[in-house]
Amino acid sequence: MARIKTLLAEPLVLASIAILILLAGGELLSPGFARGDQVTRLLTVSAILGIVAAGQSLVVIGGREGIDLSVGVLISLGAFTAGNVMDGVNGAILPAVLAAGGVTFAIGIVNGLGVTLLRIPPLVMTLGMMGVVQGGLVVLSRGAPSGNAAPMLMGFVNQPLLLGFPGILFVWALIAFVMWFLLRRTSFGYAVYAMGSNERAAALTGMPTSLLRTILYGLSGLFAGLTGVCVIGYTGNSFISVGDQYVLPSIIAVVIGGVSLAGGSGNYFGVVLGAIALTLLQSVLTTLQLEFWGRQIIFGAVLLGLMLLYGRQKQLRI
Amino acid sequence: MPPALKAQGITKRFDAVVALSDGALTVERGEIHALLGANGCGKSTLCKIIAGTVLRDGGSVEVDGAPLEPKRPADAEAAGIALFYQELSLVPQLTVAENIFLGHEPRTRAGFIDRRTLEDDAGRLLGPFKVVAGSGLDLHMPVAHLAPDQRQIVEILKVLARRPRLIIFDEATAALDRRQVEFFFRMLRELKAQSIAMIFISHRLDEVFEICDRITVMRNGATVATYPAAETDVNRVVHAMVGAMTEHLHPPQVERPANEQPRLVVDRARGRRLRDVSLTLRPGEILGLGGLQGQGQSALLRGLFGADSLDSGRVNLDGASLRLRKPADAVHHGIAYVSGDRGRDAALHGRSIFENIAAASFIRERRFLVWPSRLAERFRQAAAALNTKYVGLEAPIGSLSGGNQQKIFIARWLATRPAVLLLDDPTKGIDLAAKADFFDLVQHLAAEGTSILFYSSEDAELLGLCNRILVFNGGTIAAELSGSTMTALHLTRAAYGDAA
Repeated sequence: MARIKTLLAEPLVLASIAILILLAGGELLSPGFARGDQVTRLLTVSAILGIVAAGQSLVVIGGREGIDLSVGVLISLGAFTAGNVMDGVNGAILPAVLAAGGVTFAIGIVNGLGVTLLRIPPLVMTLGMMGVVQGGLVVLSRGAPSGNAAPMLMGFVNQPLLLGFPGILFVWALIAFVMWFLLRRTSFGYAVYAMGSNERAAALTGMPTSLLRTILYGLSGLFAGLTGVCVIGYTGNSFISVGDQYVLPSIIAVVIGGVSLAGGSGNYFGVVLGAIALTLLQSVLTTLQLEFWGRQIIFGAVLLGLMLLYGRQKQLRI
Repeated sequence: MPPALKAQGITKRFDAVVALSDGALTVERGEIHALLGANGCGKSTLCKIIAGTVLRDGGSVEVDGAPLEPKRPADAEAAGIALFYQELSLVPQLTVAENIFLGHEPRTRAGFIDRRTLEDDAGRLLGPFKVVAGSGLDLHMPVAHLAPDQRQIVEILKVLARRPRLIIFDEATAALDRRQVEFFFRMLRELKAQSIAMIFISHRLDEVFEICDRITVMRNGATVATYPAAETDVNRVVHAMVGAMTEHLHPPQVERPANEQPRLVVDRARGRRLRDVSLTLRPGEILGLGGLQGQGQSALLRGLFGADSLDSGRVNLDGASLRLRKPADAVHHGIAYVSGDRGRDAALHGRSIFENIAAASFIRERRFLVWPSRLAERFRQAAAALNTKYVGLEAPIGSLSGGNQQKIFIARWLATRPAVLLLDDPTKGIDLAAKADFFDLVQHLAAEGTSILFYSSEDAELLGLCNRILVFNGGTIAAELSGSTMTALHLTRAAYGDAA
């Protein structure tokens, strides 16, 4: 019994079980829920969440109360930038991706500088940045939807590319590999964990902690920008609040995935499972015809419930 | 009339370490009583036992003839024992009167703070000090607006508000300049006139002889002597502190040629806690930094590591000038730093032993790609050099005992093959077996040519391990000991400053 309890507290196990239960529950509620093409669809939506959560997880692992609340508006900004650069032209997809990623990376770096140089708490810094970017977007777009996805991008996100899976899933797999490589096979990754675990000790081994942390926020911005490109590929066009709905889920996915909000632990595979589990939950709730507010309540409750569960674990370990 | 305090036969163990074997102290009413001893002699522990912050294992304490069995600090406080803090406990935003009664304000019947009584009582307490304080001290003024001298008065009044019979002053004058010390002593004499008993701990022996009536000396956890201050002198007191000379506890080191090029030269380093420190460290030399705690030893080591900035001064390594702006600068030049405060300065909590060792190597080797399996063997060797006991490199650091954790943090630097090793009280809180392994390693490293700067708060470690010892006092080097002067007597004398 005690062993089952510790096993259940293991984030990866918990996320996997949640995925199976939600799949089975969805199938019971609405036959066809777990069919192949539906699952592919769910994975596509999971990928969009999973990419933004990659950046979020980096910032959280880096510690010192790391969190990025600006990912929502950076997704919107990425979608807006990409949509306007390509404006429906296939040949402009690459410049669009570079522009979206470049702009959001730069803003992420500004977040990082605020957190490291000015010592603004991440919550406040990224919240402030959220306001600034939101206002900027309204001015730039004059409040109207603008920009169009190129047909090839939409196909890449929505249509089967290989083995019945759309291209975005291969991109997600590539990102997962890059995240693993970065965190487990480069000194950058080891330094991120060290810094998240004990910043003072990390600095006393010579690690450039401020630089590292600034880069983490830059990467979070970059991942949010790429997510924005995927979002406009998914929906075809963008409106200025398209990214808002991803802020809370990006944090919940990170927590479900076993990344401690205190920093210094967790990995991206857990976050991948977390993104899938959360997307499934969202889907089941939609099948139940729950309104938006109902889903928000359940999401928030899931986050708080997980904090309670893992928070206790953490205390026991120390 | 029974004495204000009578402590007899006090014993205390911390795990395997005996901190006190026979602590004794008797303080009369209206007496200022000095408590002296070398680092680690047990005087702090004895004071903590009297103040109730540490529970004693054996012995008896009587206050005004009544037995005292404190279970917590509040019990000792209720018996009239107070600790004096230097510039730590005042709340700048509150007024003088509010600070004085902070935490035990007089209440009205309804339970609100009785401001009138509070201010009346504060005024009454201030009365005897009016002459000393001058006119500027207003009870309604926020403490933030006070001069440092006036804050001292408030600190004292705060202690007096609890109506103590005995006040413990632990290094209360350490941060004061001469004029402030005189001012402080005037207040102590006023307290003496009020029949309050005082225990006075200071590393400035001249002050002790100036203000104290009697002197009790402790050594190795036991009280060895009590003298009336007027009937003894500095020499006798220092001899009592040191006792029979305990010479080298560890085998002496191999001598190296004296004409060798120096490895590290520090020229007039200044910093926040450093005043013109110059030293030369040769290859394979173990150079000790001695003296009382907090006299600039750690500040120097952290400065040489780039962790705290040096304001001025030059640092040369193998003849080349170094710029040390951040730890990475030091690490790239083969300088390693081991702190005694493992939990804060070294431990990557929750991470594996592998990661805890690897951290410094990445920086030293400017390594970007990491193949754990290729590094593992080297890390195992580094850990083995210290006889570290662990299950596997993948085990979390928290699975090890304190001593073994410290070995891992030393292995972290061994893996970088440092040319200079800075040891900042590295054996703090680790067991004797781990210490022995550590001393063996330090000697072995020195024999291989590593230069070592070694600060320890335990004099015996310095005397046993070092080729030379630089004794620090007030941020500067007060004396250099080598050869025949490497004795506990000389070390203690130099640590206690000019008076000895």
